[in-house]
Amino acid sequence: MIDSRVGIVALVALPALVVAVSYIRLDVERLRQYAVSSAIVMLLTALALAITSNARAVLVSGVVRDGAPQGEALLRIDALSSALLPFAAGLWLLTVAVTPRGALDRGGLRRTALATLVTVASFLTESALLLLLLWILSIWTFIAALSDARHRHQRRVVSVYLGLSAVLLAIGVALLIMPMTMGTRLEVVGVWLVALAAVIRAGIIPFHAWVPEVFDHGRLGPAILFSAPQLGAYVTVVLVVPRAAPDLLRVLAVLALATAVYGAGLALVQTSARRALGYLFVSQSSLVMAGLDCTSVSALAGGLLLWLSAGIAFAGLARCVLVLEARRGRLDLSTHHGGYERMPVLATSFLAMGLACTGFPGTLGFAGQELLVDGAVEMFPVMGFAVVVASALTGLAVLRMYFALFCGRRETALDATIHLGLTRREAWTFASLVIALVGMGVMPRPIADSRFAASEEILRTRQGLIASSAVTQQDAGP
Amino acid sequence: MLVGIGSPALLLAVLGVFSMINRPLREQWTGRLAAGSMTMASLAFVAALVLYLTSSTDMFVLSYGSWLTSHEGGIAVEFLVDSLSLAFAALSAAIAGVVAAFSNRYLHREPGYNRYFVLFAMFVTGMILVSLAGTVGVLFTGWEMVGLSSALLVAFFHERSAPVTNAIRVFSIYRISDAAMLAAAVHLHHVAGSGSLALLFGSADPHVGTVLTGTDATLIATLLVVAVAGKSALLPFSGWLPRAMEGPTPSSAVYYGSLSIHAGCFLLLRAAPLLEQSMVARLLAGMIGLATALFSTVVTRVQSDVKSSLAYASLTQVGIIVVEIALGLHTLAFVHLTGHACFRLLQFLSAPNVLHDLHGLEAAVGERLASSSGYFESLIPDAARRRVYLFALERGFLDAILDRLAVEPFHRVARWCTRLDHFLCDFVVRAAPSILVDAGESGDD
Repeated sequence: MIDSRVGIVALVALPALVVAVSYIRLDVERLRQYAVSSAIVMLLTALALAITSNARAVLVSGVVRDGAPQGEALLRIDALSSALLPFAAGLWLLTVAVTPRGALDRGGLRRTALATLVTVASFLTESALLLLLLWILSIWTFIAALSDARHRHQRRVVSVYLGLSAVLLAIGVALLIMPMTMGTRLEVVGVWLVALAAVIRAGIIPFHAWVPEVFDHGRLGPAILFSAPQLGAYVTVVLVVPRAAPDLLRVLAVLALATAVYGAGLALVQTSARRALGYLFVSQSSLVMAGLDCTSVSALAGGLLLWLSAGIAFAGLARCVLVLEARRGRLDLSTHHGGYERMPVLATSFLAMGLACTGFPGTLGFAGQELLVDGAVEMFPVMGFAVVVASALTGLAVLRMYFALFCGRRETALDATIHLGLTRREAWTFASLVIALVGMGVMPRPIADSRFAASEEILRTRQGLIASSAVTQQDAGP
Repeated sequence: MLVGIGSPALLLAVLGVFSMINRPLREQWTGRLAAGSMTMASLAFVAALVLYLTSSTDMFVLSYGSWLTSHEGGIAVEFLVDSLSLAFAALSAAIAGVVAAFSNRYLHREPGYNRYFVLFAMFVTGMILVSLAGTVGVLFTGWEMVGLSSALLVAFFHERSAPVTNAIRVFSIYRISDAAMLAAAVHLHHVAGSGSLALLFGSADPHVGTVLTGTDATLIATLLVVAVAGKSALLPFSGWLPRAMEGPTPSSAVYYGSLSIHAGCFLLLRAAPLLEQSMVARLLAGMIGLATALFSTVVTRVQSDVKSSLAYASLTQVGIIVVEIALGLHTLAFVHLTGHACFRLLQFLSAPNVLHDLHGLEAAVGERLASSSGYFESLIPDAARRRVYLFALERGFLDAILDRLAVEPFHRVARWCTRLDHFLCDFVVRAAPSILVDAGESGDD
């Protein structure tokens, strides 16, 4: 058993300590070891919290608006966040464990710890105002990673798109939290604006173009850490789904499904491995958003499960590309690179994580897709067919990337003199990740049940808010 | 039953984990485990089949509860048990055992030995799941495992570019097949509210629910026919079959000679009650089968390598089997399927020796053997013979047609969309207020 307060303090303190220690003149490799140790402790703590925290526990309450059934807790653990915390910790561990030495510096380690702190803090709160502040902080951290002259254009692109999302979120949050807007059209406008901000961040059509651009020409490591937690999805679940009218949810779902197919199709034809990754992320995040916009328990649970599986699998897949780039430079998918025999663990990990993204049976992604399609097909039949097409195209894109990056060429004797194999740390990290993805895919019940619990909680909150909004409108009179 | 299903799955798990941690088992252990696993599976299914036939029971469903979640929904783990499923499972396990033993020697000291057996175990597990599937979830799981292992084995000699390129073409057709299968599953669930194959394929149990009829039956049956066409290389998807011959001979034998190529026929046999509800789907299946048989018998006669020739010869028989199923001759179709699978397996496994055997025969006879072909060719008018020959040599121009109608337009549209996305990024940076653009300029490290 672990006390929730102790656990939360640990989850917040560990990355904060790494940020603090990064200012000390430590050797970078020593700092990385410290970060890895902290990430492991953080992951274990988060897992312990996830297993022991079955019910909602509010640690710091927020302000209750008149007439609202409950306040937005500033700090809480519930069924939704209990699985997201180990997810955030796992992403941090993956980042610090496998970042190539050439890409490792003190500033980078500091930024990854700060980004993780922001993500964890976001997952611990349901306060709209606090989420807005953390949203802006996460964007600032990401832009800071693109501060060099080489990434000027990408920095501008990110500033425009994500700056716009921050502005929209700020206005939307303001409309949501002001007491006089409750139950009025302004609150509805606020929900639409928050949804729009989330759509931009998730890279949904027509606001998707920044994602492949940043992945292709920006810094891949920060892009992965910024995108994989999918804070857009979190804001959607916490602020939009409980309040949104069915029409808004349907519009979001249709856009998300179209984006899922679009992203998967474009990933298939890219010649740049990084750009293909960007489109794959667009497709995956869109599927998650599509699931979150359904109001059936199964579909919402499927979306929540896909969020975790796609997040872990995609982050792992992208890290594989980063590790490979450190050894070979920019990766062109129009040619074959070979090298399977020298890095079989990396190749197999890449394939396994790519297949998890595509929902291959035996991986956690399959469980999420099944729930999503089963739950949504009743009210939204076209969703099933869109998921089918997106899954087919994603699978093809992943296998094409695998064959291009690891097969099709015999390595020459000259290449054999250069050591390209994985380090022990990298090999164990990737192998553990794959075994975890497949293990959870073969035995998904515990995590699927937890997503069901989260889904039921979200829909209960939605029913409560809709009911109280109706009462408020009634009291206000015609 | 559990022994039969679990043996290849356990083999996959063991070999997979050791491969994942880069500690593959030694050859003799892998060979022994594979042989032992396939032997156990074969014996288990043969015993189950004998028990089933001697006990004279009807089809029943073995249920192992819900796999995915304890809440409503998700995937139920169910297996349909009848003479058809047990017979096909026993056949699959027996053939897999023979091929495993052959592969153990054929691939001795081959660098990809361990990788081969991991994929082989995946394939056998998938085939057995397809044979016994009681829900669409289980069927789809097996179907995907068969497809992925097939593509990866086509690319077995992955240090060359041709096998890898061909593997992608094969997998792209498989994805169409998988998509059709999944679409059928989605529609079944939408209509019937269940993924039970007893519901889809008909059951005597009145509690299971209504049997599909009308438009729903036609749509699902048609999607299944498309799925079968892709997996079994029926027209218009036959172009991938010769490409798949890049893989090692044992995998060609087990996939395209005996089991994988007949998986589609098995699925049609299993879905026979559903096909009977839809004349459209039956007609479609019959026409595709007939066209495939005619096409393949022409193409096989001009192939210059033995494996491609055998592959198209297999396809001819598969086409005929599909016609038999469409005509309602189910018992004949299954007997044909079983006999053909075994015979073609033998031919494929003997393929590396075909020239050696021919030379031995000629040495024994003392002269070169006369060509036995010519009768059917003489039936073709002289004016058309050259055209038919070109058609057969180009394998029906199927790849070119597919490229022209599907691949090239898709690439054009996708490249246009990529350019549009580049343009959007440039446009918004130029058009955005300077305050947003400049906000990024002041970021620090």
